Amino acid sequence: MPEPAAGLSRAIHRVRHVAFGERTGYDGSTLTVDRDAAMARLASPALERIDLSWASPGEPVRIVKILDAVEPRTKGPGGGGIFPGFVGPARPQGRGITHVLQGVAVVAAGFLPRAQEAVVEMSGPVAELSPLGATHNLVVTFAKAPASSWEEVDLALRRGLLALAASLAEAALEVDPDTVEELPAQVPLAAGDLPRVGAVVNLQTQGAFKDVFVHGRSFAGSWPTLLDPNELDDGAVVSGQFGHPALKNPTFLHQNNPVVAALRARHDVDLRFAGVVICPEPVDQDSKAATAAVTARLCALAGFDAAVITKEGGGNADADIALKMDELDDLGIVAVGLFAEMPGPDGTGPSIVVPPSRATAMISTGNYDEPLVLPAVERALGGDSVHLVDLPATDELTLPTAVIYCSLSPLGWSSLRCEDAA
Amino acid sequence: MSVTRVVHYVNQFFAGRGGEDAAGAGPDRVDGAVGPGRRLDQLLGDDFEVVATVHCGDDDASGRPEAIEEILALVQAEQPDLLVAGPAFTSGRYGLACARLAAAATAAGVAVVAAMHPDNPGVDEAKGAPVVASGAAAREMGPSLDRLAAAAKIVASGRALTADDGRVGRPRRVVSTADKPAAVRAVDLALARLRGDGNATEIPLPNFDQVTPAPPVDDLSSITLALVTEGGLVPEGNPDRLESARATRWMRYPIDGADALVSGDYQSVHGGFSTVYANADPHRIVPLDIVRELADAGTIGGVHDTYLVTTGNGTSVGNARRFGVEWAADLRRSGARAAILTAT
Repeated sequence: MPEPAAGLSRAIHRVRHVAFGERTGYDGSTLTVDRDAAMARLASPALERIDLSWASPGEPVRIVKILDAVEPRTKGPGGGGIFPGFVGPARPQGRGITHVLQGVAVVAAGFLPRAQEAVVEMSGPVAELSPLGATHNLVVTFAKAPASSWEEVDLALRRGLLALAASLAEAALEVDPDTVEELPAQVPLAAGDLPRVGAVVNLQTQGAFKDVFVHGRSFAGSWPTLLDPNELDDGAVVSGQFGHPALKNPTFLHQNNPVVAALRARHDVDLRFAGVVICPEPVDQDSKAATAAVTARLCALAGFDAAVITKEGGGNADADIALKMDELDDLGIVAVGLFAEMPGPDGTGPSIVVPPSRATAMISTGNYDEPLVLPAVERALGGDSVHLVDLPATDELTLPTAVIYCSLSPLGWSSLRCEDAA
Repeated sequence: MSVTRVVHYVNQFFAGRGGEDAAGAGPDRVDGAVGPGRRLDQLLGDDFEVVATVHCGDDDASGRPEAIEEILALVQAEQPDLLVAGPAFTSGRYGLACARLAAAATAAGVAVVAAMHPDNPGVDEAKGAPVVASGAAAREMGPSLDRLAAAAKIVASGRALTADDGRVGRPRRVVSTADKPAAVRAVDLALARLRGDGNATEIPLPNFDQVTPAPPVDDLSSITLALVTEGGLVPEGNPDRLESARATRWMRYPIDGADALVSGDYQSVHGGFSTVYANADPHRIVPLDIVRELADAGTIGGVHDTYLVTTGNGTSVGNARRFGVEWAADLRRSGARAAILTAT
């Protein structure tokens, strides 16, 4: 009998302290970054100026205008194939060893067209509502070169962020990891009596600045496809989507997809992880319906008994979940959708913009409009003002939850939810 | 025991002031019960007295921002123990007025109950104030008043109105922190469903009303056409700071005297699409140029002198419904009889 293909080993290196220094290095606890070398990774004719700053948990710091965030990872010198299509060649990954600098994110912050104000607090009551509130964030701010287009700036930032993230993780290649997590290569179709549960991951695809990339290519116009879950760990899915901050799925969360993590944790316990189907979120109704129907067929072919469906974006992305839930239900596959609710600041309005009509299993990720008070901070990165309220970025602010980066995570990272009042 | 003083709120029609011709009338009051209030007064019995009826035209009550405040002032001048509003049946503007009045009265500490059909968009505007179900139309006035009177007695006694009493509207949704992230709960829910728990969910399915399109306009050449959009098109610089997402407001901008919307004078602040093409030619959002040609050719009677605009991007259903009702009231009041609503 042939040996089953080896899976992916995730070598986890925990970062407890960060600093700038002469040479980039990791000693098993502290990540030191050579600022000049890091700038060189980001350099592009599209960027006239680049600045780097650390923002760490507990500091009185606010990051505004956050774009993407990436967890430093590499598979070897030069990236070893990580972030296929951007850093590595466009090939399937998810095998071998991937080194992860856990507790760090490389974060871009600043203006891009169509980007909506996105805020992270490093201290105070709102810090825990974002995954970046608990990571040491290497914040990249920038100025556009006058002759460049915003699209060129966007591309330069994406390539630079991924290249920098990969290069930082190289510092851990020769260091013993804190832990090694073994992820199996594949899940045989016919095995055991446990129910087969998979993830359906909708990726927002609405053109420049609201796009998601798979193997380096925009996923807009694609049909849904099965994806080896381990490919997510190696950065096959990269975000270029800067709308709906609370409902945004940055590259960081694709690398650490919470639904995939939950399914892996239960694999061979009370379910079998049946795989991942990635789907675009088209902008017109016919394409949404067609994508939903194709998705349901793929899930059936992959032997799903149940699917957890996630989205990215606001109201129109509810339709992408709702249609898929109904299509899956029609094929006898249990469908659970994750929805952020929109009942207004006082919780009295209707919650869901486009609900399913036949399937009914829904998980709440909180209220878009719930007001939050952010205490004043000493320092702000990413901009001088908060666009939504037009106030200085360091002021005490009252903002809707919708502005806090990933706070209503459609991928299920957050623990916020809504319940009926007693 | 002293008599419970009741003020009844009705629209212009049930106050006997007229139909659509009087929909623009402002708030006013009369002594005692009027119209359906007389039957309500009887049903409430000797311990209650409808001391005054406050009324207002539907367009004014639902379309003018200060109207509810003025109506409430008239109500409070009567020093009532209880305010009863409606029944509004399925009438959108009337229901909105009753619900907003109920919300404002509750905020002001006045005991209140409103009545309307469960599908009335006003149900979502009551902000937790008690609303009791009525029939769909005035022919169901009798049973609707029976239920309203029973509910009024319960509210007057200080007890909470429940679904068993005919209360409608969703409970408020309140935010909490779960003990597990949503992704883990989603897997739990999938397994619960697979085990046969067919109703498990964290979000009760909302009831959505189906919108029946209005019949076509018979003779366009005799009517004034309005242009309405959710495309976020505002004068350059966005002087009123219309939101780019999650709009809570809508705006009205003059287009009388203009034959076209000049590129550079207008911009779209919509956060949900690339606005490059809208800004290059604002007619892609508000097609004034073509509509003017149609008016010049006599195909349509005229063009309404303002266009109405909001941003349809992450807008709550509650706000979207409110905009719709307010737009309809605003356009009716100003004489427009048809509208083109451009969506983006």
